[in-house]
Amino acid sequence: MRVSHEWLGEMVDLEGLEPAQVADLLTLSGTEVEKVTPFGVGLDQVVVGEVVGLRRVEGSDHLFLAHVATPGLEPQGVVCGADNLFVGALVPWARPGTRLPIGAEIGRKRLRGIWSEGMLCAPDELGLGSDHDGVLILSPEDAEVGMALDMVYPADHLYELEVLSNRADCLSHWGVARELSALLSRPLRDPEAVRPARSASTPAVQVTVASSVDCPVYLAEVLTGFSNTPAPAFVRRRLAAIGQRSLGGIVDLANYVMFEIGQPLHTFDLDRLPSRGAELPVGVRRGRDGESISCLDGVARQLDPETLVITVGDAPQAVAGLIGGEASAVGQETGRVLLEAANFNWARLRSTSRRLRLRTEASARFERQLSPHLARRGADRFVHLAVRHLGAKLGPGAEGGAPLAPAAAIRCDPVRISSILGMELGPEAVASPLRRLQFEVRQEGGEMLATPSPYRTDVTSAVDLAEEVGRIIGYGEVPGTLPAIRQPPPLEALAEPVARLTSAACRAAGFSEALSLSLVSGERERLAPRLVGDLAHLELANPLSMQLGSLRQGLLQGLLQSAHHNQARGQDRIRLFEQGAAFWARGQERPEEPWMLAALDLADDSAEEGATRLRRLMALIASLSSVGGGGAVEFRPVTWPALHRARAAEVWAGAQRRGIVGEVAQPVTDLFDVRGRVEVAELRLDGWLKPGGRPGHAPPLPRTPALVLDLSVTVPSRALLGPALRAVAALELPELELVTPLDEYLGDQLGPGVKGWTLRLRLRHPERTLTAAEGDRARQAVLRALEVEVGAKPR
Amino acid sequence: MTAVDLQELTAMALEEIARADSLDRLDEVRLRYLGRRDGLVTLAGQRLRELAPEQRAAFGQEFNRASGQLRSALETRQRELASGEAQLREDAEWVDMSHPFREADQGHSHPVTGLIREIEDIFAFLGYQSVGGPELEDDQHNFQLLNMPPEHPARDSHDTFYLSPPAGGWLYRTHTSPVQMRAMLGSPPPLRIIVPGKVARRDNPDPTHTPVFHQVEGLCVDHGVTLGDLKGTLEYAIRALFGRDRRVRLRASFFPYTEPSLEADVACAVCQGAGCRTCLQKGWIEILGSGMVHPQVLRNGGVDPETYSGFAFGMGPDRIAVLRYGLTDLRDLYENDLRLLECF
Repeated sequence: MRVSHEWLGEMVDLEGLEPAQVADLLTLSGTEVEKVTPFGVGLDQVVVGEVVGLRRVEGSDHLFLAHVATPGLEPQGVVCGADNLFVGALVPWARPGTRLPIGAEIGRKRLRGIWSEGMLCAPDELGLGSDHDGVLILSPEDAEVGMALDMVYPADHLYELEVLSNRADCLSHWGVARELSALLSRPLRDPEAVRPARSASTPAVQVTVASSVDCPVYLAEVLTGFSNTPAPAFVRRRLAAIGQRSLGGIVDLANYVMFEIGQPLHTFDLDRLPSRGAELPVGVRRGRDGESISCLDGVARQLDPETLVITVGDAPQAVAGLIGGEASAVGQETGRVLLEAANFNWARLRSTSRRLRLRTEASARFERQLSPHLARRGADRFVHLAVRHLGAKLGPGAEGGAPLAPAAAIRCDPVRISSILGMELGPEAVASPLRRLQFEVRQEGGEMLATPSPYRTDVTSAVDLAEEVGRIIGYGEVPGTLPAIRQPPPLEALAEPVARLTSAACRAAGFSEALSLSLVSGERERLAPRLVGDLAHLELANPLSMQLGSLRQGLLQGLLQSAHHNQARGQDRIRLFEQGAAFWARGQERPEEPWMLAALDLADDSAEEGATRLRRLMALIASLSSVGGGGAVEFRPVTWPALHRARAAEVWAGAQRRGIVGEVAQPVTDLFDVRGRVEVAELRLDGWLKPGGRPGHAPPLPRTPALVLDLSVTVPSRALLGPALRAVAALELPELELVTPLDEYLGDQLGPGVKGWTLRLRLRHPERTLTAAEGDRARQAVLRALEVEVGAKPR
Repeated sequence: MTAVDLQELTAMALEEIARADSLDRLDEVRLRYLGRRDGLVTLAGQRLRELAPEQRAAFGQEFNRASGQLRSALETRQRELASGEAQLREDAEWVDMSHPFREADQGHSHPVTGLIREIEDIFAFLGYQSVGGPELEDDQHNFQLLNMPPEHPARDSHDTFYLSPPAGGWLYRTHTSPVQMRAMLGSPPPLRIIVPGKVARRDNPDPTHTPVFHQVEGLCVDHGVTLGDLKGTLEYAIRALFGRDRRVRLRASFFPYTEPSLEADVACAVCQGAGCRTCLQKGWIEILGSGMVHPQVLRNGGVDPETYSGFAFGMGPDRIAVLRYGLTDLRDLYENDLRLLECF
């Protein structure tokens, strides 16, 4: 919302304050000022001139030569491109030598062979808004020939306000002035609203409100005696300053009161309402299916039982709080109006506004829970201004709705408020800011009670009072402290989180951390390798796009996308990992959110090099399990969708499958538009790894020497090392400390279908040195186990 | 053999030692003169017994001197030769020690998780435990328990992603605040938690929006927690994150789940508060929302507001990363460009 410094200044003394200071005060107290712009500053050198002659400039299709007169000076020729000039027009004239507020210095210029004595200005050239449609035409009511323009447009500043959603009261100059009055401790001057006596008793107005929940208050006032006069200059100037077009005296005044007091008003042309003789039955009710209304903006809108309408004689005349009907619109010839000052249920208006896709200045106010007490104030202010400035007379009026409950008093305990804010405040220190906010503070039975201003619907409890006191005193005044710790924090907080353990291990292995949006195209993710297997995606009901329409089931789709991004930017080795939640559907049940880790290693290299990278990735998985206390892992070769048919394995730990690892199948890398071999893994960490990681138990370290033996065997070329070593472990040889696969030999010398393995055995007895014979026995036992498991033969 | 003969023998040996040009040759020389069985000097020493008693002392002295001299010469020469041979070997093992390296082959943190870790550590220092919560929520936890009934105006700024049937009862949380509720409902005060995590709002991606982003929520509920405590805590955390001298200001605001509500701004790093494009001419950049937990929210969490009070805050590590690292586009955080990641 835009408010004018000059307009505010009428209600609270802003003497001695720079606009920037006012902006700071408002911002810190909650009404954020997003921008301060000067309006009509520096117009003292621009004069009001009268166009006394006008002709086209020869040889130009758009330039005019205007002769402009000011008292005591021969008319001067000014060349101008605007086409809205006419003889007799009063215009702002920047004579040669004038410096305009936008910074330009105006000179004497020769255009098409004609001397132009300065410039006739459009509003934007004068710093009066952004209008550049033509020269500003001044009305004779406001301006006199020869007057300096700052007499018409006194210097002003505009504040662009971001009003908090609970502060409907601040959606007006009066409301903002109330804030400033409290912040500055300067008195508030309420806009004058003297209600005159009623001058007539017809038409007899009745107001029938079907539900006072929908419409707590409806005030109807008949005003007569209007003639087609524009609103007074100050009204039009202020409306222009805040960016409102002038729409004729009556509408301008209603708008003015809304921006001044905050109460939206509506005016119906009384003579265009369906009259019933001397009766004017006004109703507020829900719409009916099949009903429609043609609105002020020319759009016909369907009504329904969820929509509130204003009726006269049961015919809809307006969509309540949103927009008036075309049929009863006020126009140039309007002489009598029915004024509406009402309050409508905020939730109903919000849903109607959403359904009709229409938001107006009025609905924006009602939606935020505007105080119903404001209606009377708004009506009276309009009547006051209409009577004074437009020659109107007050006719009959009526009220509908329920009696308004006065604002309730709240217990205002300085001790409690001090303890919320964390600063010592006595009764007076608490009462003073509240009184400045127009709250009523009184002592009753040894207690302090505060009654909020009736216009503040947001203050209902003691904490609300604490907030008012705090923000008016200023949070800068509250001393910063730290809360005392009286009980020890939970010990679990000390355990290193799994995500940190795993992240460190991945980074140590050369993988960088990626983060992806959790939203994917389900169709595309189904192409990527996924631990989840075959499961329908969770879909968004209101996605931004198909590309972001589903919740991810895994993390590899995102990493493949990032791999593509990086490869396209010239990276040849791409190692990324990501940790985060994935989302698995469970029908209507709460979806499962497994905590996943995925890693990707991409290089455009040979099958052999790819295999080496794949093995390192598998080693990383073993490390992850180890640092996370997940125990030994086992890789079980499988065929898996989207993975290489001979390079894929499930990752098992204990009796659970924890993940998959493998090389992405070539057709899939093509689909994701990446070149080369992509080694990937996807693991589910929750339920497997534990905060704090491995428990860390140190075994005794015997001082006896180790006996190290190498064992070379031949095995069938597709023999699996995993089962082979598990068979050796199953022997449970007490002295066999470690078996390390040293080498795999795939050369031709061993014959077709055969390969060689060399295993290193480390043996040790805790108390003595092992003999060669003992070593040999162990070697034989291992050999037998290998023979049984994979058909190994000594080499 | 006389002492003079011994001197001659010694001179010869010394000369040969000097001439020996390899460790093998030197060892030959050693054996020839000092070999245990038939070294020439060794043998000369054995003659001692053959000498007249009056000559023995002088000869003995001379022998000790000569053999000592030879041993030390041998040792010196051995060192010389050994270092020469090592030099040759090392020369053959030449490494280009000017090879430029940037850093070891290790991966990098993502700037956002890096910041989240930093924030967790700052608050761990103040006794806060980092906890998580589900990213898919129900309306109850995401809105209603936090004082946002249906149609509440504050929902306007929480443009929500809803799931399709059959999971239609779920939404992607729009903030990490529902974890406050879960924490309060889960265990009695005192509570000091920090909740980092992903949230989503239905904003089209642009330089200042991504539809999914991160938040870090904080909650402290205990006896006698005040707004001053909130202020002190935030000032500490913000200075820890942005530097000791960075100016911080708290401004009144509104959230349905806190009362009083505050937002914290830091002075714009680009213009130091003078106003520039980065801060939209405000001089300040908003970095978090906070407030005293609303009594009704405490009650909704099963906490008696007459006994306990608390504060809560929420900040956006994505935005903080952009501010701190001089990024210009939030979307860059989710492209995982290694050139960017390698800076962290």
